[in-house]
Amino acid sequence: MTALDADSALRTDGLGKRFRQTWALRDCTLTIPVGRVAALVGPNGAGKTTLLRLLVGLLAPTRGSVEVLGQSPTTNTSQALSRVGFLAQEHPLYRRFTVADLLRFGQACNLRFDRDLAQRRLSALGIPLDRKAGALSGGQQAQVSLALAVAKRPDLLVLDEPLASLDPVARREFLQSLMGAVADDGVTVVFSSHVIGELERVCDHIVVLNHGRIVLSGDIEMLLAEHRMLLGPRTTNDLDRSPNVIEAIHADRHTTVLVRDGAAPAPGWQPQPVSLEELVLGYLRRPAHHGTGSTTRESGAEA
Amino acid sequence: MFVFRLDSGSGVPPYLQLVHQVRQALLLGFLQPGDRLPLIREVVESLAINPNTVAKAYRQLENEALVTGRPGQGTFINQTPTATVSPATYTSLRRGLQAWLDRAYAAGLDEQAINALFTSIHREAKVEDVA
Amino acid sequence: MIWLTWRQHRAEAIAATAVLLVLSAILVIVGLAMHATFDQNIASCFDGSAVDRDVCSTNLQAFQKTFGSATTALILLNAVPLAVGALLGAPLLAHELETGTLQLAWTQAVPRMRWLAVKVVSLMTLIVVLTGAFAALITWFRQPLDTLYGTYDAGAFDVEAIVPAAYALFAFTAGAAAGALLRRSISAITVSLLAYVAVRVTVESGLRPRYRAPLTLVENIAAGSHGIAIGTGNRSDWTLDEGFADAGGRHLASTDINTFDDAARDAGVSLTTYMHDHGIQRWVSYHPASRFWEFQFIEAGIFLTLAAVLLAVVVWRVKRRAL
Repeated sequence: MTALDADSALRTDGLGKRFRQTWALRDCTLTIPVGRVAALVGPNGAGKTTLLRLLVGLLAPTRGSVEVLGQSPTTNTSQALSRVGFLAQEHPLYRRFTVADLLRFGQACNLRFDRDLAQRRLSALGIPLDRKAGALSGGQQAQVSLALAVAKRPDLLVLDEPLASLDPVARREFLQSLMGAVADDGVTVVFSSHVIGELERVCDHIVVLNHGRIVLSGDIEMLLAEHRMLLGPRTTNDLDRSPNVIEAIHADRHTTVLVRDGAAPAPGWQPQPVSLEELVLGYLRRPAHHGTGSTTRESGAEA
Repeated sequence: MFVFRLDSGSGVPPYLQLVHQVRQALLLGFLQPGDRLPLIREVVESLAINPNTVAKAYRQLENEALVTGRPGQGTFINQTPTATVSPATYTSLRRGLQAWLDRAYAAGLDEQAINALFTSIHREAKVEDVA
Repeated sequence: MIWLTWRQHRAEAIAATAVLLVLSAILVIVGLAMHATFDQNIASCFDGSAVDRDVCSTNLQAFQKTFGSATTALILLNAVPLAVGALLGAPLLAHELETGTLQLAWTQAVPRMRWLAVKVVSLMTLIVVLTGAFAALITWFRQPLDTLYGTYDAGAFDVEAIVPAAYALFAFTAGAAAGALLRRSISAITVSLLAYVAVRVTVESGLRPRYRAPLTLVENIAAGSHGIAIGTGNRSDWTLDEGFADAGGRHLASTDINTFDDAARDAGVSLTTYMHDHGIQRWVSYHPASRFWEFQFIEAGIFLTLAAVLLAVVVWRVKRRAL
């Protein structure tokens, strides 16, 4: 684990956050290595925004700890703040500012800020610098927000549902820009999404959140290799109790089982590879009493 | 310039799709020895995929001796084309497959049934490879 | 950061300055006319060089007729510190909370306290400059009126000298604190309006008369005089209360005065002679004009203390990590 510490972009340990009487997050322990593009998925209300806000220091933990790039995110120094870029939900901007004003804002408030690069990027996207932010389309606002976050050359980029409310073209363009930034700077990216479909081409790491707890996290390729869908005749002998069975779906004459690292329940079961979406849904549909201990197994301790 | 495609719904990991596309292009002659594959950044920008994915695909192709990466210049198709399949093997495989298809149609399978059968056997074989 | 503060609040700052400039223009135009009329017709009545008391009286009436409405209009200028302060203060945190831009502001490389400090100091400086200059203009405007009616009037004390700036800073911090807690600009403006009115009224009617113990003037009543004098004789003093007392010093009620009237008529003497003969005295409870500046400092101090407390609320809210 020590070698991993040096290489982790962020680590949380038993992280929990309570608002008034409700726990929005509980017992969250995860590690994301440097250079990854990690997706944080889960249904609405699962605690994704809370977790992301804890990562950038907008909230402080109620319990547990969080460490980003080796420091606590609540370290309120210019140095610490300049290493992390954040794109909040709905990509808020100062609506009365022009795009040029926003770039100037970025330059005035950051230690390093590549204003020229941001300007060229936005011009290439056809976004006029003299237009007020409030007059831009949703996709354009998202691109401007991204440009602001990327121009400060952070080591970690955190984005809260950046693709929500974007049309398919805007979504594709946004991801192109984001991946371009990863290719250029090697920045680690964590973004939340409640849509799983398009994640596999972009992400190599996934964290699944449900009801404030992490139900699955790890390197995507390894998780997919460790899991299998087994198709066989209908069986109801306590399949759900087996620790390696994530989910069993019974039809009239057959049963489909999502298993992890396990042999087939009996010979003759047809193994099939699992898609990322099926994997995530299988874990999300799991009843809560299975507990977090056995499911938040860290997978993907890649060198 | 070679252009990659990506099919999100195909179930095949993205990096493998890229590898397959290069292999297929080589077989069909769309890529010639000495051609430069697109830079990682170019692929990333056009397809919106993870740069590590492209890097991995290019590494795989390099392991298969199909391409060579030259630092600062790009990734190039190898001069000595390693023909993965000799024309003779290719022809014999075609003949065998044609014969099998004739038998399948004669047994009453339609196109969909044939595809389903082939896919399930193929997947089984792949999974056994991994396991 | 200073550029950012200016750029964010530039619209409100320019609007406030524009409104004050318009008001100032009116004040200058009317003020010049008023000063001229006063110097010409009225001034001589007060420095003892006037000859004809009747001319003075007529001129005074004419002056009051022409410029009387100015005194009432000045009371409306009590709204200026509220407007300037609340409009700049209420959206400070509330607007950024409403639009979500606080998440943007706090994830650049500026630590929160520095962000808040620069904003608060710049805006407070702007407020002090605007309201202070405006109050200075009003003080000039009111010179003739101050000579006539004193500086303790509602349309005088509240809008002259240094208290308007203190009121404005109070309104600013009240708006900022309300915005920080309520997270909505409109609610914050409403709350600061209510707080401003409530505190101002309480301080003005409940505390201001008590900043120091009032002086008491006791006077005999001159026998045979035409009427009973009122006040202290110095129109610039602030009369809190006045009345009559018997020879033993006991304060008399107004019903008692009515009995004197009847008794004097029965005795066949004038009211004043009757009262003089019976040792009735006149008392006045007042604050002298010389206490004006002292009271200004005390009242400014009260509002600045309140502003400091409210500012502490804002600081607490920013330090506490919550959105």
